[in-house]
Amino acid sequence: MKQKTKNLFHYHELIFALAWKNIVIRYKQAYLGILWAILKPVMLMLIFTLVKSFVGIESGDIPYPILTFAALLPWVFFQESASEGVNSVTSNAALIKKIYFPREVFPLTAMATKLVELAISFFILAGMMVYYRMMPTVQAFWVPAIILYTMIVALTISFFGAALNVYYRDVSQALPVALSLLMYASPVIYPLSLVYKTLIVEQAAGEWSERLFMLYTLNPLAGIIDSFQRVMLKGLPPDFDAMYPGAILTLVVLPFSYWYFKRAESWFADVI
Amino acid sequence: MPIIEVKNLTKEYKLGHLTSLKQTALNTLRRLTFRPVHERERFKALDDVSFSIEEGEVVGIIGHNGAGKSTLLKHLANISKPTKGEVIVRGSVAPLIEVGAGVNPELTGRENIFLNAAILGIPKKVVKQKMDEIIEFSELEQFIDTPVKRYSSGMKVKLGFSIATSMEADILIVDEVLAVGDLAFQRKCFDRMEELIKRQGKTVLLVSHNIRQVQRLCHRVILLDHGRINMEGDPQLVCDSFYEQSDRKIKTNTELVQTRTEGSGEIELVSISLSDHSGQKVESLSYNQNCSIHFIIHALKELDEVTFGFGFHTTDFLYLTTHNSEEQLTIHCLAQGLYEIACTINRLPLLTGVYSIRFGITAGQAARTIFYGENLKHFQVVGKIPITVRDGFFALDANWKTTHIQK
Repeated sequence: MKQKTKNLFHYHELIFALAWKNIVIRYKQAYLGILWAILKPVMLMLIFTLVKSFVGIESGDIPYPILTFAALLPWVFFQESASEGVNSVTSNAALIKKIYFPREVFPLTAMATKLVELAISFFILAGMMVYYRMMPTVQAFWVPAIILYTMIVALTISFFGAALNVYYRDVSQALPVALSLLMYASPVIYPLSLVYKTLIVEQAAGEWSERLFMLYTLNPLAGIIDSFQRVMLKGLPPDFDAMYPGAILTLVVLPFSYWYFKRAESWFADVI
Repeated sequence: MPIIEVKNLTKEYKLGHLTSLKQTALNTLRRLTFRPVHERERFKALDDVSFSIEEGEVVGIIGHNGAGKSTLLKHLANISKPTKGEVIVRGSVAPLIEVGAGVNPELTGRENIFLNAAILGIPKKVVKQKMDEIIEFSELEQFIDTPVKRYSSGMKVKLGFSIATSMEADILIVDEVLAVGDLAFQRKCFDRMEELIKRQGKTVLLVSHNIRQVQRLCHRVILLDHGRINMEGDPQLVCDSFYEQSDRKIKTNTELVQTRTEGSGEIELVSISLSDHSGQKVESLSYNQNCSIHFIIHALKELDEVTFGFGFHTTDFLYLTTHNSEEQLTIHCLAQGLYEIACTINRLPLLTGVYSIRFGITAGQAARTIFYGENLKHFQVVGKIPITVRDGFFALDANWKTTHIQK
């Protein structure tokens, strides 16, 4: 037991060191440095705002740019940590062949790296909130829990995907496609309230409406993005009705995903 | 209780590429219909290897390329898992497998020290304490804040070795790392290893192609051959046996190499043979025994004032000896026909190894070369070499004494 805790202590240092390395080498020779990290959500926000002016998306009483930026924050964090996580094992082949430590260090490192970039995006969000004169309420204390939940979802994909990617590199090719499809199935461009209004209030799909809404909320990102917007912008607690289908799905899949990763781990060095 | 125990370790690899989607689908179909499946060919990198190592022992692992040395170390370092058998390691392991695996070119030397320390599991505060010592050992004070991508390859290796050896672990696994850097740094690495072994009493596993190093550092040597333990025990005995095996391999390899001959066409070399002290034709000679070399030549023309010369050289053409018939044979006139030229050697001074013969013939008052050839015949020298003359190519006949000069 003592040995085990000692090991864990070593590995948290390792994760920090590797994440720090990832960040340093990514931005070392770039003039703008870590500012590049926020470029993606900011650009997407601008494009969505532009698109919104053509198609018209109801955003309620919250200005659309900040609403979509608040959606992009957890989304980009999820998307990047999942794709980095899936590639994390294969991109560290040199280390895997030379030295042993638990291989889950790699997906966890990918996540820690993205956490730093997320933190920077928060400054942008804060700036926008000042601009739109919005005050965070006490509900903002939900944010760490929501981020933690996002990390668990990303890890569920990372573990399984990273292990499978060692054997079949198809995974890293297919993942970006799958993730960009998932973005349209998540309330990033449009708010969840719009889906709710269409399916539950207007019963647009007749008797299938409730089931379709359930299917929609099976995507954990639906609950995550909606809750993030609620606690940050609206001063409301998370909407657990929209959360639980996705949460149950994640909790069921995570053990399998981790088990598969640990089982495949012993052969990484031979196959990679 | 032994610190490392390896029991019936077998490691199989599948040869060829991973199966494609089509192949996997076909195999699944075959399995479902109970038909034989196309399996990829298997290769045993390690085959039923068992041994144990006590604490504080220094064990060398030697063998030709592909004998399974690195695979074995990978199992001890927990990087690979055995196909069959068991590996028990009771203690922390510091793998020095190809130092510099974790060195990142974009980071500076100092940053790399922190990163690699974390990879090796050295706590940050320990690294901070040892930082100066590590930098000093690496001899890179001037460059430590420069990105490693601008380092020379030697500097990278120095950095890697300095970090790896600063780790405190019970077991040190060393794979070919001492052959790094310039001579002075190699010396330093060697001393550091000796210090770790002799003074700190660490358990060390050393894999090297530098057999002399292994022989000097290790208490025990394991000789691997095609994934099996061929021999195990006293370094001297095992290393000698390995040398003999390699010599045999060198001999078969070099026999395919073309001989180099040139000549005026007046004379031809028909054959060369070796005989031992009893006159028996042999393919290998024994150290310190009398032997003889026989050249059969065919003179196509009548020749005058003929002398012969022969010499031994190593397989990489280092000329070791020559002997000339000038003072012993006087041939004023050599008529057409076949001749045998014999030369006896008293107590062959060559140490064990593979050597080759060169041979030349001159004729006429001006001693013009009418035949010359190198790499003409390979032979192996075998036998028991006394400890006093082990290194080098020749046994030196020498005497020692001490005289008390002053009190």
